[in-house]
Amino acid sequence: MRPRPLLVTGYSMLSALGRGRAQHLDALAAGRTGLGPCPIPLDFETAAGAVRSELPELEGALQPWSTRLARMATALLHDLDEPLRRARARWRPERIAVLLGTSTAGAETTEVAYQQFIAGGKFPRDYDFQRQHTFGAVLHVVRALSGASGPAWMASTACTSSGKTFATAQRLMAAGLIDAAIVGGLDTLCTMTLQGFNSLQALDRAPCRPFHEHRNGISIGEGGAFALVERDGDARVTIEGIGETSDAYHISAPHPEGAGAQRAMEQALAKAGREPGDVDHVNAHGTGTRLNDTAEANAIKNVVGTAVPVVSTKAFTGHTLGAAAALELAFSALTIEEGLVPPALGDDAIDPAIDLHIPTTPLRGSYRRVLSNSFAFGGNNVSLLVAAP
Amino acid sequence: MSHDLGSPSPVSPFSVAVTGVGLYLPGFLTAQAWTSGEALPADQPQKPTGLAFDRVNRRRASQMGRAIADVVHEALAQAGADPVTTPVIVGSSIGEASAMIGLLDQMWREKEPMSPAVFTVSVHNAASGLLSISAKNKGYTTSIAADYDTPAAVLLEAIGLIATGHERVAVVCADEASPRSLLEHAPHWEMLAAALVLSRSDDPAALAQVTVAAAPDDTRPDAATMPQWPEGIEHNPQVGLADLADAVLRRRAGALALDRGKGRGFAVTLSPVAATGAAGA
Repeated sequence: MRPRPLLVTGYSMLSALGRGRAQHLDALAAGRTGLGPCPIPLDFETAAGAVRSELPELEGALQPWSTRLARMATALLHDLDEPLRRARARWRPERIAVLLGTSTAGAETTEVAYQQFIAGGKFPRDYDFQRQHTFGAVLHVVRALSGASGPAWMASTACTSSGKTFATAQRLMAAGLIDAAIVGGLDTLCTMTLQGFNSLQALDRAPCRPFHEHRNGISIGEGGAFALVERDGDARVTIEGIGETSDAYHISAPHPEGAGAQRAMEQALAKAGREPGDVDHVNAHGTGTRLNDTAEANAIKNVVGTAVPVVSTKAFTGHTLGAAAALELAFSALTIEEGLVPPALGDDAIDPAIDLHIPTTPLRGSYRRVLSNSFAFGGNNVSLLVAAP
Repeated sequence: MSHDLGSPSPVSPFSVAVTGVGLYLPGFLTAQAWTSGEALPADQPQKPTGLAFDRVNRRRASQMGRAIADVVHEALAQAGADPVTTPVIVGSSIGEASAMIGLLDQMWREKEPMSPAVFTVSVHNAASGLLSISAKNKGYTTSIAADYDTPAAVLLEAIGLIATGHERVAVVCADEASPRSLLEHAPHWEMLAAALVLSRSDDPAALAQVTVAAAPDDTRPDAATMPQWPEGIEHNPQVGLADLADAVLRRRAGALALDRGKGRGFAVTLSPVAATGAAGA
C-alpha cells in the first residue's frame, strides 16, 4: 500500500546558523558555518554548533518545565505560529498529534543538577526529573502551547529520531486517526554526548568536513526543526516516500557498504513510486567520520549514481543528533523552494575515494526532489524523499 | 470467563488482534508463570535471561534490554511470528537511565574516561537496535516514549504500521526500576516488561480484539479488575501494557485504562475471542 504524500504546510528551524528561515538561508547560501568553539568546558578540543539565538522563557504554569530544550521547543513553535493557527481553525484539537524526536531529552539539565548532587549530596531545589528530563516533559510543553491534544510521543532512535516522526504521522493519517501533526525534533549540547563521541574517537578537533580527504570525525551541534504536516492544505513541500530500515549489523558502526542506508533510500523511492533519476539532490547524513561517509557514499552511488549533487549540511550546523533529520528536512525544503544547494564546507579537497558529485560552491537551479538521509546507533536508517508540491 | 470492565467512549477507534503475549516482572519471568500464579522462590535467579540476543549483544544489553528481549521472544513465539521480519516497537519512559547515571558518575564522581561501550548502549533505542542485530531483522524498528502514555503510544504506532500493510507488529513496554536518586519523591517502582504481538483484526489466531482510541477519553482505572501485581509494579509507567496483557490472558472484556490514571487518559476496549487453547487462565 502506497501512503499519500505527506503535506508540509509550514516549518521552523533553529541551529548554530540562527533562528528562522532567513538566517539559515543566508548562511547556507554564503557557505558560512555556524561551528565554533564548544561552549561546554571539556578536557579536549573540539568544535561545536551552539545555538546562540535568544530563547523565550516559559512562563506561568509552564515555568517548572523551563529547560533549554523546552525553550528551544517554544521558539520553534512560535515560528510555526501562522500555519498552526490555520490548522487549529481547520482541525479538531484531538485530531492534531505531537510527534517529536530527541536523543538526549533533558540530559543537559540533569547533568547540571547531578554535578551539584555529587558535590553536596542534594539536587538543586528547582530540579525536577519528571518535568525537566523525561521524554514526556517537552511533549507536555508543546501540547500546552500549541493546543494540540491528539496522540503525542517522542521517538528516540538516536540520530534518526526526528525522521521517524514524519513516517509515523503519515501512517496515522493513513489509518484515519489524525488530520495534522506537529512533527520534528530537537536536542541540546551536553557533556555526556561530547565525552561519549570523544571516547569513540569520533570527534574532529577542527570543524567537521564531511566527504573531504582529511575528514577526521564529527562536530556535535544543537538545535531543532518543527514541521506542520496536514492531511490536505497548501503544501510548501511534500514528503513523497520514507524509507525506514535497520542495518542489523552493529550497535554503533555502519554497515561497511552502507547496505541498510541503500535499502532505506530505495524504499523511500519505491514508496513514492519514483525512479533514481527523479532525484535532483541528496542531503547526506554525512557525519564526517571516515567510516560513515565512505559507507554512505557507496550507498548513494548505488542508488542515484555519481552525477547528483550531494552535500552534508552538518558542516554548517554540526551533528544535531535527534534533531538532525528534521533540520535537514527543513534544509531540503529550502533547496526546493529557493533553488539552492549549499556548498560542501572544508579547506581540503574532496576525498578522491568518494565517487560522488560533491559541490564546493553553492549551486543554483531547479531542484524538485531531494533525498534526505539520517542514520543512527542501533543501525537505524531513515531516508525522506522531499518534493516540490 | 469474561469480566465487564466498563463502557468505552472511543474517539477515532481502530481495532487490532492480539496474537501473542509476553511478560517479565520480578518473581514471574514469563506470561505463563504469571497466569499460573507460580512465583519463583526468592532464592532463585530473578533476572531476565536475554537469550533472544546473541552472545555478544547479550553482554552489551542492560537488564531492561534483556527483559525486553525475553518478552518479545515469548510473544513472537506464541503468535508464531518471525523475528526476522516482524517490526518491533519499544516503549520506555526513562529508557536506559541506569546507563546514563553510570556515565554521569564516571565523568564526575570517579573522574574516569567515559566507557565507549556503555555510551553506545545508553541511547533509548539500545534494546531495539540489539534486537534487530541479533534477529538479523533489517526492517522497521523504533523506540518511543511518552511517560505514562507510552503504552498508548506503542499501540497507536503499531496501528499505523498495520493500517499501511504490515501483517504483524510486536510492541513492548519496559522501564527499569526507578532511579531512586533522581526520583526520590516519587513512589519507587520495580522493573517491568510486557509485550504483545498485534495483527489485523480478522487474524484467525486472535486471542482478543483490542480497539484503541486515538484520543484520551473518560475511562478511569477500575481497581476491582486491576491485577494485583507484586509490590512496586503498579507504579511502573509501563504497567498499562501489563494490565492489558493480563486482561488478554484472563479473557476480560470491556474498557481498560492504559495509564492507571497517571497519564492523559488513553484507553482500549477489549473483546476476547473464542479460546483456541493459546490463551491462559
